[in-house]
Amino acid sequence: MITLTHFLVVSACIFCIGLYTVLSKKNAIMILVGIELMINAAILNFVAFGKYDKISYGGQIFGLFAIVLAAAAVAVGLAIVLNVYRHYQTINPDEINELKDK
Amino acid sequence: MFAFSPYISSFIDQIISSVPYFKPELTLIVTFIGTILASLFLDRYWKKTSFTMTLIGLLLSGCYLLGQGLSHIEITGFFDMIHIDDFAISARLIILVSTVLILLFIHQRHQHQERPLGDLYAVLLTATLGLNLLTMSSNWLMIFIAVETVSISSYIMVGYFSSSKVQSEAAMKYVLFGSVCAAVMLYGLSLLYGFTGNLNFDTQSHIAGLIEAPQIMVSLALLFLLTGIGFKLSFFPFHVWSPDVYQGAPTVITTYLATVPKIAVVVLLSKLLASWLTVSFYFSDFLAYVIMGIAIATMLIGNLAALRQQDAKRMMAYSSIGHTGILLMAVLVYQNNESNVLLFYLSIYALMNIAVFIFIDALEVHIGHTQIDSYRGLGKQFPLLFTAFSLVLIALVGLPPTAGFVGKLLVFSKVFEQYQTFQSFGLLALLIVGALTSVISLFYYFKIPLNAFLKDGSTQQSFRFDPLLLGLGLLCTAVVILLGLFPDLLLAAF
Repeated sequence: MITLTHFLVVSACIFCIGLYTVLSKKNAIMILVGIELMINAAILNFVAFGKYDKISYGGQIFGLFAIVLAAAAVAVGLAIVLNVYRHYQTINPDEINELKDK
Repeated sequence: MFAFSPYISSFIDQIISSVPYFKPELTLIVTFIGTILASLFLDRYWKKTSFTMTLIGLLLSGCYLLGQGLSHIEITGFFDMIHIDDFAISARLIILVSTVLILLFIHQRHQHQERPLGDLYAVLLTATLGLNLLTMSSNWLMIFIAVETVSISSYIMVGYFSSSKVQSEAAMKYVLFGSVCAAVMLYGLSLLYGFTGNLNFDTQSHIAGLIEAPQIMVSLALLFLLTGIGFKLSFFPFHVWSPDVYQGAPTVITTYLATVPKIAVVVLLSKLLASWLTVSFYFSDFLAYVIMGIAIATMLIGNLAALRQQDAKRMMAYSSIGHTGILLMAVLVYQNNESNVLLFYLSIYALMNIAVFIFIDALEVHIGHTQIDSYRGLGKQFPLLFTAFSLVLIALVGLPPTAGFVGKLLVFSKVFEQYQTFQSFGLLALLIVGALTSVISLFYYFKIPLNAFLKDGSTQQSFRFDPLLLGLGLLCTAVVILLGLFPDLLLAAF
């Protein structure tokens, strides 16, 4: 029997993997992938909790909207990363550091 | 299975009855589509079509808002998704006026550029739509959609020109940092939904769910939630993106980022705290103390880091972080029906920042960069511009006779009132830090008049400023002084 706890543990794991990806990867596109993992963890949470919200189905609706918004944000993000590559010839955030405190 | 079909007609009736209250936003949506079409098909015949259309749409939306404001309506619509009251109407009016000012600024500054601006105007409209929704909503789904709408629009605006290395770098830092914060906030929202089983933060069942939730989990969820809000407000420790982005983005876009989104998010945060801090349980005390600590740290970090900046835009970024701390103070003492202090400070804050960035931009056009050193000796050459610039900086410090003084005075006296009733040490610390950091801010703001008037520099070849832009900046300055002398003009309106 798969209970709510199973879902929550899986989603917490996915969230942590996403956060680790964001913090450790040296490639802007991999960071976007990490962000996607974090968002999917949250969506999994919403859908799992939504099982107990039989009246308004808020969780499922939230999940649907979150999927669409995540896709939109990633599309803009990829366009901007492409633009950075044109200027810098690299997408490693560590090497893109013209703006910093002097 | 829940039978849905018998309810459909009553649902549709409720949606249709809510539509008239949504007119200002519907106008924005229609204008958005119109502007996209105009930039595709009509701009080649008369290149100001999209600009004119955006301006008319914003003004029309303002007319509908004024109509709502004059009738003092207070309703909820779309199944509690939006909640319109006087506070939301005034906040939306401030947002609209600032957006119109920034629209004029963008148009006047960039109209002769090769890159067409029609899409930028369209994106400006979607950002305004998102901000409007943010001020009206008390539903987490609506708030998340609104925050993402604003964020995605701002990413596009920062990266829109991307004519240089630093502009694309600023856009990338903004989009990566913003998306991570939004994802963390979404996870926090999912936890809040799990505790309460409902998405409206001002309902009884939501608060009851938060009271019963385990302490560690509810603290974690609230901190995650504050991550998303903190990114939009750029308070400590989520302020690290703002100096880089403010410096790298085109100055017109920096003006937008520094002013308008903060207005809406402050309104949202004050509504949230006003409905949660009425009860005194673990979660509300935790939230109040966290916000207090954040406010103190934000004021200190912002003002101390601003001291050693050499770039005017970067300095203004840290200065706006410092002002966020004071806004958080105002948010903490906000109670229902007493929104005028908060709204006054927000509108003055927006005006001062727009004026400062117009002046910085006018100088940037001719000098080519925004280093404060390069203003040396320019005060004698452009007495009018630098006098107005210095007056706005005085207002930012919070000295009389400007509106900045009145705004800070109102916030501080409100906090002091609360301190006298509750004798809370946190509020006293807020007051002390707020007063001290205002003194510190004197030193970095006055670097600009010091360089311009007191230091000699090589006199540069004479150049003329754009008269309309300079007029816009002087107008903002005049309003800041006027409201400093007669604050009741604005305070009575809220």
